Amino acid sequence: MSSDIRKWFMKHNDNKGNGNASKDKLENPEKPDKQEKSGREGQESSGRRKCSPYFDKQKIKNEKEIEEPKSETKTPIRKKLQKVEDAEDDDDFEMPSSKRKGLVEVTPNKRSKSGVGRGAAKKGIDLDESDEDDVKVKATKSTPKSAGRGRGGKAVSVATKDESDDDDAEDKDTKSQKPGGRGRGGRGTSAAAPGGGRGRGGGGGGRGGFMNFGERKDPPHKGEKEVPEGAPNCLANLTFVISGTLDSLEREEAEDLIKRHGGRITGSVSKKTNYLLCDEDIGGRKSSKAKELGTGFLTEDGLFDMIRASKPSPATAQNETKKSIEKTVASTPKSSPQQLAISKEQARISPVKNSINKGRGQSASPAKKKSQSTEHPSLSWTEKYKPKVPTDIIGNQSLVKQLHEWLVQWNEQFLNTGHKGKGKKPINAGAKKAVLLSGTPGIGKTTSAKLVSQMLGYVTVEVNASDSRGKADGKIEKGIGGSTANSIKELVSNEALSVKMDRPKHQKTVLVMDEVDGMSAGDRGGVADLIASIKISKIPIICICNDRYSQKLKSLVNHCLLLNYRKPTKQQMAKRLAQIANAEGLKADEIALEELAERVNGDMRMALNQLQYMSLSKSVIKYDDIRQRLLSSSKDEDISPFTAVDKLFGFNAGKLGIDERVNLSMSDPDLVPLIIQENYVNYKPSSAGRDDNGLKRMSLIARAAESIADGDIINVQIRRYRQWQLSQSSSLSSCIIPAALLHGQREILEQGERNFNRFGGWLGRNSTMGKNYRLLDDLHVHLLAARESNLGRTTLRLDYLTLLLKNLTDPLRMLPKDEAVEKVVEFMDSYSISQEDFDAIVEISKFQGHPNPLEGILPAVKAALTKAYNKGSKSRVIRTADLITLPGLKKAPKKRIAAMLEPADDGLEGKADEAENEEGNSSDEELDDKNDGGKAVQLDLQNLSSKGIQVQMDLKGAEKTSGKKTGSGRGKRGASEVVEKGAGRGSGSAAKRKK
Amino acid sequence: MLWVDKYRPRSLDKVIVHQDVAQNLKKLVSEQDCPHLLFYGPSGAGKKTLIMALLRQMFGASVEKVKVENKNWKVDAGSRTLDLELTTLSSTHHVELNPSDAGFQDRYIVQEIIKEMAKNRPIDTKGKKGFKVLVLNEVDKLSREAQHSLRRTMEKYSASCRLILCCNSSSKVTEAVRSRCLNVRINAPKEEEIVDVLEFIGRKEGLQLPSGFAARIAEKSNRSLRRAILSFETCRVQQYPFTNNQLIPAMDWEVYVLEIASDIMKEQSPKRLFQVRGKVYELLSNCIPPEIILKRLLFELLKKLDSELKHEVCHWAAYYEHRMRLGQKAIFHIEAFVAKFMSIYKGFLISTFG
Repeated sequence: MSSDIRKWFMKHNDNKGNGNASKDKLENPEKPDKQEKSGREGQESSGRRKCSPYFDKQKIKNEKEIEEPKSETKTPIRKKLQKVEDAEDDDDFEMPSSKRKGLVEVTPNKRSKSGVGRGAAKKGIDLDESDEDDVKVKATKSTPKSAGRGRGGKAVSVATKDESDDDDAEDKDTKSQKPGGRGRGGRGTSAAAPGGGRGRGGGGGGRGGFMNFGERKDPPHKGEKEVPEGAPNCLANLTFVISGTLDSLEREEAEDLIKRHGGRITGSVSKKTNYLLCDEDIGGRKSSKAKELGTGFLTEDGLFDMIRASKPSPATAQNETKKSIEKTVASTPKSSPQQLAISKEQARISPVKNSINKGRGQSASPAKKKSQSTEHPSLSWTEKYKPKVPTDIIGNQSLVKQLHEWLVQWNEQFLNTGHKGKGKKPINAGAKKAVLLSGTPGIGKTTSAKLVSQMLGYVTVEVNASDSRGKADGKIEKGIGGSTANSIKELVSNEALSVKMDRPKHQKTVLVMDEVDGMSAGDRGGVADLIASIKISKIPIICICNDRYSQKLKSLVNHCLLLNYRKPTKQQMAKRLAQIANAEGLKADEIALEELAERVNGDMRMALNQLQYMSLSKSVIKYDDIRQRLLSSSKDEDISPFTAVDKLFGFNAGKLGIDERVNLSMSDPDLVPLIIQENYVNYKPSSAGRDDNGLKRMSLIARAAESIADGDIINVQIRRYRQWQLSQSSSLSSCIIPAALLHGQREILEQGERNFNRFGGWLGRNSTMGKNYRLLDDLHVHLLAARESNLGRTTLRLDYLTLLLKNLTDPLRMLPKDEAVEKVVEFMDSYSISQEDFDAIVEISKFQGHPNPLEGILPAVKAALTKAYNKGSKSRVIRTADLITLPGLKKAPKKRIAAMLEPADDGLEGKADEAENEEGNSSDEELDDKNDGGKAVQLDLQNLSSKGIQVQMDLKGAEKTSGKKTGSGRGKRGASEVVEKGAGRGSGSAAKRKK
Repeated sequence: MLWVDKYRPRSLDKVIVHQDVAQNLKKLVSEQDCPHLLFYGPSGAGKKTLIMALLRQMFGASVEKVKVENKNWKVDAGSRTLDLELTTLSSTHHVELNPSDAGFQDRYIVQEIIKEMAKNRPIDTKGKKGFKVLVLNEVDKLSREAQHSLRRTMEKYSASCRLILCCNSSSKVTEAVRSRCLNVRINAPKEEEIVDVLEFIGRKEGLQLPSGFAARIAEKSNRSLRRAILSFETCRVQQYPFTNNQLIPAMDWEVYVLEIASDIMKEQSPKRLFQVRGKVYELLSNCIPPEIILKRLLFELLKKLDSELKHEVCHWAAYYEHRMRLGQKAIFHIEAFVAKFMSIYKGFLISTFG
């Protein structure tokens, strides 16, 4: 693996070498290089000297050559990107050439400085230089980065500017190096042309080369290495991507380490990435992308070296100023070569600026701070730094704009002040009269509502949860006289007055209903009332809520223009936080602020509060401070159950504290146990150690399974008997213990399965089971309704089903079609099994891995069965029963079909008559069992009679109706249509019903 | 119509097995009053049949005119109102229901229906049988609360209503309820009795029974008369003239449980456990009650197990079955049993065979 990387490094360098050679603009770079090298080598740690023979001469040289020019060659690169023509390269070079003069000189300086930034030796060179130098260091540091990225125009122009600044400064300091630098600069450009950002890669490689790859073949030495401490910002402005497993650090540890030293971690390799941190070339996407982009590879030891090298440096003070410098750099306008003079001018100024900025850290800031703090001694930062204009709001600018437009158009849309008589329609029919801002807390909803309306000259009236805003006592129209709650009404209707008075400018009001989702018990009818207000309102209403999908707001949503605020990105937030920190004289680096922004999960207000709190005790805020501070008080964040399970089962799950585990398992107390139960068998427990025959694992699994079962028992106690105090025990036994027993590596148990946690299968299985139980229920009721047997549901499943299925399917398979169909239909009728029941029986008897019960039945036979069944179905008991409306039920139950066959004898009226009839019937039944249809009719009738409907049996009518063979009986209610099958029931069952 | 239903004895006089019990019951009912009854015994022994015959004896043929109804109750349970729904079978004289279907709110059902029955107590013009009978099936599956609430209602409303409880195992019925009832144990019929019944049916149906065939069915039936008759008919459907060595088909789910058991015996690994879980899910979703699965699984395992392990395995099966009743998600407990078994058996195999 190591050789791979090395090869690649070498190739890289070769390329570069070629590139260099091909350009005739090259001057002999050797001289300055050597100079530098020597200088540098002096600084290099002993570890570096150990570099492998490959890298020793050539590489270092090359590397240096490349790195140096690179920083200057941003412009050409950029242009190249744009034009991609060799010919033009020259032109490009020409254009900035004048500038490059300046640039050129920079290089040596930069070199040395970057060396400084990284290492201790820096001071040696620049000792006599004042802060300015440090400034430069930083500036230059940032430049190589942008160059390496080969980024688009803006960055480049900034970079050039930097350089010009630096150049000027350097002009003063390092004149002696000028000629050499120039030459290098020329070469640098050409070198950079072939391999844009690759130079960086070379650099990385060079550094990597110092590590003794070959010597290390052992598997990861976790925790064996001493993690170095370095200067706080020694990795500033470097972007890292971590890939694969590292030699001794956990990934999180590595991330912490890098962040602590000011570096930045991103998830995937991009042009901005400086290093890919990996100890083995795993050949994944990251590394291939990195190769493609020319990103440098860095091993863990390389990283340590980088950090270690920075340690003795007293450069911290300089580092701190980095930010301010960057800012100035960023703020200076883009300079084109033609503006060189100007930029130079600026450059001359900038050091001064820088020094001021820098100085703030030391001398100026206390003063400033003091002055500020005396000004507003008690003002919280959230108030103090509230955005003053809408454009100050962080993120969501498009929404703010939308809000603005909506407010601007409001009067025209809804008031039609000018054209009252003409009754002009609103311009946009779809426009809403109110707007609903939604989003998580602290992202500026209220602020933007206020600012926008302020900007448009509206007076905002804010009503929030602390005001009572319940339903008005009186009617909406006469709200003024009502209770306090009518303040809304008052406002809303007041506008009418102002309109009439034709002084809208003074009276323009906007109502801000804050926290509308908090309208609750105390505000009875609050939302409904609000909607009513919106309808009659003559002023714009802005509603604000956190959760737009809240049940309470469902009705409101239809009346509002919905603007959904999103969380600002951490960069956006960090930028603003940095401004504020700056203004408060608080020193905080970018990484720290980004971390803060990330921790608070987009809540600007919380971030500011935290910052202010921390400012009380510290004047310098570092990454670690933030980390520690927010470790405990970080905002609750939703983690998905899958993430939680992953963490619980993860390799290093053993390190998690019990609190963390409880939190993880509580992230979704319903789902996490299910996912754990589904997946625990997949884990190879690391606690089992060497386990040849899998016995240990099996017994661990048994223990885990028992613990999961415990969890189920506890869960019953919790849910059924509301013993919620047990919920911790529940999560302990259903999640934490199984995970603790089995955490380790996940393996797949089935071919082709993806090695991720499956979703808990129980939910799906349980609902299948529920469905099947319902089907079985239906079947059961039907069988009971057939009154042939009196069996329990379980018995039905366990004992009867096999035979039922046999009776239903065997004839279809063996007998000729017609005969079979007839036989089956007859059987179905005798047990009043419906077509659905037939399917249900088949469904319930299906077993995975067993042949389908319907196998071997021809589709034609099936079709014939369906047809035959449907033909006779109208007369079936169950059919009629389906349509009977049960007393007290509004509609016939769909799932469970109540079959009413025999009326209860405690009928109300005409009991005697019916009793007679009934007796007749029963005798009939004995005689004529098959004639279900007729029976059904009668039963139904009797049933209705038991409900209190008077029924007359018209025996004579029977002949007529039976002759028609159509439904003659019609239930008065419930539309129970009873169709008679035939006249067979001559004795008196066929009946016509009269009301 | 299936033979089980066709040849079900309708009156106490016609029963073939448990004639002594039937006679005693008949004497009991012929007296004016009748106590609460608790019928218990294994399935397929004839509890239901006896109950129906008893009711017929008490009220005459009209008990057979039942109406199937999907009843709805609105129960006021403290702060909330519960909507309960249950299928009942009722005639003028009795109501039959399966309260355990209502899940753990079964106690409301029991209370409600008994109160309801007490409210409209039948006024018989002829001045006799001033009570209704409530038949509760599967009392052993009633929740503890329901059984406790049954206790009081049984006494309070005993004037208007008699309870006939029916269950498989009386040990799952609380002591209090048992002591309030006349317990009637219905044994599983002996194999000879089953053979008698089968031959009786064979005669009625006009079938040629090869000698010993009925005995084989009886033997396979696990002394459940119902199963014997059902599989008798299954054989008939499958192949008529019977041959002596005819295969007697097993129940589909039993075959599946057997498969699971042999899976477990063959290999004890997480992978196998995972597969077994899938199969148990399959059984559960096909409406096989989990207790039956566990029991059957244990039996199948015991058949193949070395005798020194049997005791331990039985212990664990009982342990997990108990826990299954305490819990809710049956699969967890069955899986725990399987995992436990695998771990024990694997350890045993390794220690025995190295």
